[in-house]
Amino acid sequence: MTQRIQEISQLDRLIHEPARLAIMLLLGGVGEADFLYLQREGGFTQGNLSGHLAKLEEAGYVAIEKKFKGKVPLTVCSLTGKGKAAFAQYANRMLRVLQHRLAWQSGAIDSGPPVIPPASPGVPHDGP
Amino acid sequence: MKDDSVRPMPSPGQRAASYWFVDGLPDLVFGLMLLIFGALGLWWRIHVPKPWMKFDLLLIGTGFCLVLWKGHEILDFLKSRLTYPRTGYVQPPEEFERTDVLTTLSLKPEPPVSQNVTHFAKRTVWVVFLSFLIPLNQDPVPRWFVPLAMPVLAVALYALNRNAERPYRWWSALILALTGLVSLWVEIPPLLQPLLPLLLAGVWLTAQGLVTLVRYLRANPYPPAPEGVRT
Repeated sequence: MTQRIQEISQLDRLIHEPARLAIMLLLGGVGEADFLYLQREGGFTQGNLSGHLAKLEEAGYVAIEKKFKGKVPLTVCSLTGKGKAAFAQYANRMLRVLQHRLAWQSGAIDSGPPVIPPASPGVPHDGP
Repeated sequence: MKDDSVRPMPSPGQRAASYWFVDGLPDLVFGLMLLIFGALGLWWRIHVPKPWMKFDLLLIGTGFCLVLWKGHEILDFLKSRLTYPRTGYVQPPEEFERTDVLTTLSLKPEPPVSQNVTHFAKRTVWVVFLSFLIPLNQDPVPRWFVPLAMPVLAVALYALNRNAERPYRWWSALILALTGLVSLWVEIPPLLQPLLPLLLAGVWLTAQGLVTLVRYLRANPYPPAPEGVRT
């Protein structure tokens, strides 16, 4: 594998999961949002969203706070500094990999993914 | 068949800023403010001796200051009762960027689209206010002022908000433009003429806000729809 492709294995798996990635993306642009908004925008079920938010909160990426707007109680979520940094790192790494891939596809660079030679008939197979 | 994938996806920040307008309350509140302070200004012009007449500007100016100074808080109060329990809370967008002046002076491009920023005050509130300020030094106001001012106001509001989070529809702007032509056939008292654009814009914004609010409330009844289901 080339160095760029190897970077995929270094991606933050906590953020890489699609539902959590959606939560991070939503909170990244909005600043802060409540549970109901995230649930509707992301198309999550209540239990699903709770589970993912708990994981992000445990990692210190998301802060969850009970607030009152007037007399209405709201569960407001926002990205922490650590969460923003982790997301920026994730996005940069992913972008680098994808840009490299696109450049290789368009022929801008020569050293792309290595071509795996077909197995020769006489060589014994390692697998079961 | 139209290819939707070509259309640029709005960023989370843009979606959040457009969420501010989803219930029609910003238009409704500003429209009502125009009507209330426009009516107060008219009352002043009718009942107060001529030398004091220009003080109607003070009354209407107070209304604009109220919208610019306390508008977010008034809207937040209303939204906490109508919108947040139904479709959720999002941090209100910034009305003015702190770096706005510097950005304009340095001719830098617009801020990143990921920012949760709206320009409702700049693109709508100020445009309407300026349309009111223009005829103040002319007494009496020329007969052609209202028929000319309304199309100009309509085009300005449509063009400035065209790429914003909450664009006005072309036919809605056309209605606003056509209201000015009414004054060509109907005899309007000279006292009312300078305030007419303000009052017409107030009716227009209130009507739009009201329609949007009714649609929003009908589409999102309280308590909210079952979990995970989009309405």
